[in-house]
Amino acid sequence: MEEMISKMKKIAYEDLSTKKVDRVIGFGKGDFIYEANPIFISNLEEVDLLVWDLFCVNNLSKYLINELKNYQKIGIFLKGCDSLGFNQLVKDNKVDPDNVIVYGVPCEGMIDPNKLSKKNLLKDLRYLRRVDEKLIIVTKQGEKELIAKDYEYDKCLKCKHPNPVVYSELLESNTLRNSILTDDFEEVDRIEDMNSEERYEYWSEQFSKCIRCYACRNICPVCSCDKCIFDNLDIGVSGKAKVDSEDQFFHIVRAYHVAGRCVDCGECSRVCPESIAIDKLNRKIIKDITEIYGEYDAGLNPSKSSVLVNYKLEDFDPFETSKGGK
Amino acid sequence: MKKITEEKLPELYSHISQNHDLFVPIDQDDSVNFSLWKDGANVNFDVLKTNTSPKKYIFPQCETFFNFKSEGKKLTIERIKSEEKPYVVFGVRPCDAKSFRLLDNVFLSEPMDRLYEEKRNRGIIVSMGCNEPEDTCFCNSFSILPNSIQEGVDVFTLKLGNKIFWEAISENGVELTNKLSDLLDDVTEGDLKEIEIAKSQVNEKVKELPFSNIDPNEINRDLNELFQSKIWDEISKSCIGCGSCTFVCPTCHCYDIQDYDGNKSGERYRCWDSCMYSEFTLMAHGNPRTTQKERFRQRFMHKLVYYPNNFDEYACVGCGRCVGKCPVNMNITKVIRKLGGENQ
Repeated sequence: MEEMISKMKKIAYEDLSTKKVDRVIGFGKGDFIYEANPIFISNLEEVDLLVWDLFCVNNLSKYLINELKNYQKIGIFLKGCDSLGFNQLVKDNKVDPDNVIVYGVPCEGMIDPNKLSKKNLLKDLRYLRRVDEKLIIVTKQGEKELIAKDYEYDKCLKCKHPNPVVYSELLESNTLRNSILTDDFEEVDRIEDMNSEERYEYWSEQFSKCIRCYACRNICPVCSCDKCIFDNLDIGVSGKAKVDSEDQFFHIVRAYHVAGRCVDCGECSRVCPESIAIDKLNRKIIKDITEIYGEYDAGLNPSKSSVLVNYKLEDFDPFETSKGGK
Repeated sequence: MKKITEEKLPELYSHISQNHDLFVPIDQDDSVNFSLWKDGANVNFDVLKTNTSPKKYIFPQCETFFNFKSEGKKLTIERIKSEEKPYVVFGVRPCDAKSFRLLDNVFLSEPMDRLYEEKRNRGIIVSMGCNEPEDTCFCNSFSILPNSIQEGVDVFTLKLGNKIFWEAISENGVELTNKLSDLLDDVTEGDLKEIEIAKSQVNEKVKELPFSNIDPNEINRDLNELFQSKIWDEISKSCIGCGSCTFVCPTCHCYDIQDYDGNKSGERYRCWDSCMYSEFTLMAHGNPRTTQKERFRQRFMHKLVYYPNNFDEYACVGCGRCVGKCPVNMNITKVIRKLGGENQ
């Protein structure tokens, strides 16, 4: 980690001082050991604030949309999952890649403070470090050795791209963990196995927990409309009413609008204050696309056209077969 | 003062439920929120911070004012009358109990908010003290002690081990306590001593918390100076403009009024609004705050300057929900510190 931080500071310092970039987006330390925050650097004195640890979970790519309005060229630190978001932003014409220098950071999985908290390990946490598959933590009570996987974010447990898929500079050439290449969609299967009543009940319950804070939408690198319909009073959608129909309407529209573009970075579920299974809905769509069109590749290649906007005569026609629950 | 053991609580819940809607922190799908108690519910008093605050019972996220209908030239307006049962909210922490009173300042001053008043009068607040404050708690910065009996609560409780101590505070509280007398036991001298020790211990613990040096009184409250400060540019940068902080906050109370627009009939309702949203306070001429910086500044100026100027109290109770829920870890503690609100 220390080595990576030096590399980050070095490259940020170099690129800012040579005016290769006029802004750097990275992570800074928060108030707690288990907290890292997005930071924005233009002054050389602030380069020292850069950190890299087990809590740099945010996907920073979306900040490029706004930051590029005020800065010419931006250097940004991106992990594997973040780099998919970056590619999709490029594909959606939201970010011009010529104005960005991506510093690729291989990732070995980020640690979820909530999972530590549930085991009462967050309080008095003084030190924490990862050694391969082990997590060493030191609290008031002493040192403990844990299995890192038990404390990783859910989204990291099924990580397909620990290494950035696109970068201008790669800060570490070794892959730090193996990617999970076969996606079993186990959690989607479980919902598909329900009968239609059970499934309706499951999703109704999930969506009724929604407080309509739109954190899922605002953190999402592919939810990038200039004006979302849920912010547009003229559209005739009673956006703020907290009723089941509105909650369901929002979640279904959100899921469909990112269909084929969702890079499965899991940020939506991570930020949901009510722990709604938002990513399961995304992953159901990813599963369907995989089955119908072959490998799902949103965020992998910005020059290849998306399956859902590319019509071919031989495309699968869902109206030919009867669908529904098993 | 009375007491009851944890094992007997379900009996107490079912007793209260006979005549009241009872809301308690319930653990469902791994997250704890105040919800309606039903037999078999997984009540959880160990988690201090429910995801959202119990303010939803006095100020619901969405409520209807009236229905309207037009027939020819005639317009009929039908007021919505509450037909709901009296309710009890059990387990309201001192910070949240204080937030109720902060909302009272706004809604119960003239012109009185009829819907709010009705809900406030219909409810009994059973507060519960805290023994193990979390790292993200900073109630002390707003002069709230974790075991304090806040003005306006009807019953104060404290859970120590498997005993729950129960103290009626208001007339309504006494009435409820009398109805539960079969289930409640008297406390012993030993119990009182145990309570005293627990109280002094927790007061020491809050002094050791990571945010204990946060002190909003240290902020220079010169309105113009704060408003123009360059700090806002810097600290609002990472804000993604979602409403998490405002909707989990016990003291945020801005609302919007909208219509369900039918063809010849409709419904006028109000719902929580968030100053973080781009269409917040949107008027015919446009929006007075066009950037996220201005919206971000509004939220904290409201809590730390505008509200205190009106009511001489801060509109934050240090519950720390926003600290845990902000997707980018930007929250009021960082804002207060940046504005100079820190004891050295």
